[in-house]
Amino acid sequence: MRSFGAVAATLVLAGTFYASGPASASAKTTLTLWQNYGTEQNAVATKNLIKAFEADNPSIKIVDVAQPGTNYFQLLQSAAISGNGPDLAVMWTGIYDLQYSSYLVNLKGNVPASDLAKMEGMQWEAPNFDVSQGAYVMPLETQFYIGFYNKKLFKEAGIKTVPTDWTQLLADCKALKAKGIQPMVYGNGGQAISTEFYPWYDMSYLMIGAHSLASWKGLYDGAIPWTSSTNIAQLKNWATLEKLGYTNSDVLTNTANIQQFEKGKAAMMVDGTWDTAQYTSTMGSNVAAFVPPYSVKPITGVVEYPGDGFSVTKYSKNKKDAFKFLDFLSTTQAGNIINAAGLIPDISGLKTTNPVNQEMLNFVTKDHMTPYPMMDNYVQVNVGNAADSELPSVLANQTAPLKALQNMAQAWHLLPAAQRSSKDFAG
Amino acid sequence: MKKPRRTGRWILFGAMVVVAIVMLYPFWVMIITSLKSESQFLSGGGFSWLSWSNLTSVIPVGQEVLSSTIVCSSSILIILCVGLPAGFAFSKLRFRMSTVVFLVIVSAMMVPLQAILMPEFVNVTRLHLTGGYLGAILVYASLGTPFSVFLFTTYFRGVPDELIEAGIVDGLGYFGALWRLVLPIAVPAIATVTVLQFIQIWDDLLVGLLFIQNTSERPITVGLAVLAAGRTTSIPELMAGSIISALPAMLVYLGFQRYLVKGLTMGIDR
Amino acid sequence: MSTTIPTTERPTFAPRVRRLTLKRRRQLSGVLFALPAIALVVCFIGIPIGQAVYYSFTQWNGLTSTWIGPSTWTQAFHNTNLWTALRNNGLLLLSVPFALALPLGIAVLLHQRVAGWRIFRSIYFLPTAISWVVLGLVAERFFAYQGTLNSIIHALGFSHVSTNMLGYESEALIALGITFVFTMIGTNTMLFLTGLATLDPSLEEAARIDGAGRWRIFRSITLPHLSRFIQLAFVMTVIALFSALFSLIFVMTGGGPGYATTTMEYLIYETGFNQGDFGTAALYGLILFVITGIVGVVQLRLIGSNE
Repeated sequence: MRSFGAVAATLVLAGTFYASGPASASAKTTLTLWQNYGTEQNAVATKNLIKAFEADNPSIKIVDVAQPGTNYFQLLQSAAISGNGPDLAVMWTGIYDLQYSSYLVNLKGNVPASDLAKMEGMQWEAPNFDVSQGAYVMPLETQFYIGFYNKKLFKEAGIKTVPTDWTQLLADCKALKAKGIQPMVYGNGGQAISTEFYPWYDMSYLMIGAHSLASWKGLYDGAIPWTSSTNIAQLKNWATLEKLGYTNSDVLTNTANIQQFEKGKAAMMVDGTWDTAQYTSTMGSNVAAFVPPYSVKPITGVVEYPGDGFSVTKYSKNKKDAFKFLDFLSTTQAGNIINAAGLIPDISGLKTTNPVNQEMLNFVTKDHMTPYPMMDNYVQVNVGNAADSELPSVLANQTAPLKALQNMAQAWHLLPAAQRSSKDFAG
Repeated sequence: MKKPRRTGRWILFGAMVVVAIVMLYPFWVMIITSLKSESQFLSGGGFSWLSWSNLTSVIPVGQEVLSSTIVCSSSILIILCVGLPAGFAFSKLRFRMSTVVFLVIVSAMMVPLQAILMPEFVNVTRLHLTGGYLGAILVYASLGTPFSVFLFTTYFRGVPDELIEAGIVDGLGYFGALWRLVLPIAVPAIATVTVLQFIQIWDDLLVGLLFIQNTSERPITVGLAVLAAGRTTSIPELMAGSIISALPAMLVYLGFQRYLVKGLTMGIDR
Repeated sequence: MSTTIPTTERPTFAPRVRRLTLKRRRQLSGVLFALPAIALVVCFIGIPIGQAVYYSFTQWNGLTSTWIGPSTWTQAFHNTNLWTALRNNGLLLLSVPFALALPLGIAVLLHQRVAGWRIFRSIYFLPTAISWVVLGLVAERFFAYQGTLNSIIHALGFSHVSTNMLGYESEALIALGITFVFTMIGTNTMLFLTGLATLDPSLEEAARIDGAGRWRIFRSITLPHLSRFIQLAFVMTVIALFSALFSLIFVMTGGGPGYATTTMEYLIYETGFNQGDFGTAALYGLILFVITGIVGVVQLRLIGSNE
């Protein structure tokens, strides 16, 4: 879930800037919580969750420290090295919590198992993706990588149903272009100024179209090399979108894609749930969600994933109270707070009030699409970094798909054997 | 004979104006962009003071400039206090192996920060020095010392030996000689080191980014970079912040510039 | 020092003894004065280099290190991104002559003492005071698709030509190089102007009277005199290229597109802090150090040959 940017998606702004250690004066315990949410909805949710928790637990106080997104994990790392840091910290799931697990507490036995079971997708927070081994992170929300489209523009081009495979997508793009509408827009809106668009929204769907969820393990351990012909073919199809002029020509340097989509300058955009609230507020009922149909056969999977949450650090001196906060996150009260902030709570059975977010949940519950993890939380960090650099150039038709995949494969080869093995993976 | 020279003069003047325009271009961009509001900037034209008035709520400019000032002045103080005596020692107070030691220190100039970054980071973190300014100050000081030693040594080579000898004969002692004789004439060198190191440290990003962990103690360069890396960056506000960040270094240069000539040339001609 | 001989009895020995004490005192003072500098350099530069050598043979995440051995080195050289970064550093070295020649020309211009030259001199140095971060941001807008460069090109009449230099792997490095040269103009111009100011004008006059042309004077009198300054500028420019360029890249391109603008320094940062692979980053750091050292030695040779 590097969508928030290891390249910095968030910004430190108004509010608390002062980091303080856990002070234990009088009977009150003070916990420190680090988050990298900047000004987003997640920050709002966190603030309100803390308020509600403190109201229920008057002897515990939590200090909310906003850290910059740029080097958040390295800050955590440094805190771990010096043994001097927060009690609670925002942690991304998947390979992130696995990478940093040396200073995270396993929640098994520390948070009631019944409450852990209430949360969806807990295997992604677990050691070796195996739920029975516990969890490192208590998820805050569930997120989607998803496509958004402009209903009015689709109507103008005479598109009656959303595309479900490559052929339909290309046909719809052609129809849009014929009406003078730019079909898709890419850019780095929401990322740091110097970076390119984040390729993992698309790459996740390219891999969904290429491999079943059970086969994704093969991409991790090398049973399916990154340079396999299926992958090459998928990337080639993807690059065709730019080649045929169905996207903007400056995919690598455009910074205003979000505004362009909102203003109706483009019909489709691949993005995530953190922007849903923004789109519904500017476009009202004109915006809807669709599953990016990057597949030869009709697409059957959607990226639904609890991308971030909170962890307790091993060097915390107030672990018991910290666990209480994590437990609180599984309550309906917490779920309502999270929903009110425009996020989708990860607690089973809860509904969401944003209609477009509900559409996404329906893809899974009503249309029975398979929920996949975000691919960038699934592949090894080195491979992910290589992809970050190379994949955008593939869409821009400046790098051949094979060359980009070879770079990723090379990064995979350079990993020590322990990091390439999936033998302990559950399922 | 006069006419060609006058037109020659005008062509020269014109060329210099062109160069000046090019060199001033970044300032022009910064000023023009900062005088727009974000929506004006994204859509095209307009003029507004909005970004400037919003600036302090977006980044704590005053605080960050203060942090930069503290870090800069402390580091430079150390660099001067360490470099000047060392320069005196290597140029005038020959001791065993002093040439070798001098070469080693000067060759440290060539060590890029990134080469030692990882171990340096872990060391400083383990020593618990990243919670304040001290870690960054020590790193800056040690990175600037080789250059400072080099400059002072070269500079003092241009000072006649007899001056020092006379002081010693008069019973000054070497420390006295340093304080009373060498220091006053070292002013241009001090100015040169100060200006060059100030600009280097003030404008540095990496050390400030990694070695100052408290958000409240962040220097202005890091603040700007973090702002630039944000999700919802307002470019005009960023430019306004950049102007403020550029001012101190410019002032330091303008204030010290008349010393720079002497500081750089003393000892080089010999 | 018990051998103090009364000067009235043995005047010939006394001065020798005093000189010996003096030499020792001088040496002691020398060591003491140099000690802080030595300590600082050893602790914060020397020791980390040694540690980097050790850690380059390990798998290190900052917290725990596992010894692997020389295979880390052989493996590292199989990484194509390392070679890309080295190539980028090499290509950027090509910008150094420009970073020296342009300021030299500007310094000569200033040296002609046209009206208001002092103001021009301050103006030319001012961009040096701007942080690399800010310069990178300004440059990013300059080279952007809807940026100033294209506006200039269109204004000159080539309305069908549009560049997007930062969006193309083959061109991004050039944009970076141009920006780097721009940033070096200030310091190097000042350096050369200082050198020109120390040039004895009577030498030039004498040569002119002898009938030498302007170019001849420049080549035979001005340039040799400036050689020390050119060497200093060369050293400083290369050092800046290998270390300070990081901020520009961080803000302008993030190392991209692809790895087109990833230099060694950026690769080290990315490997260490983005990937958490501190061991390999230390390894790359050592490679960078060795290269900088080689370049430094080459420079010294060039300087030595000029003596």
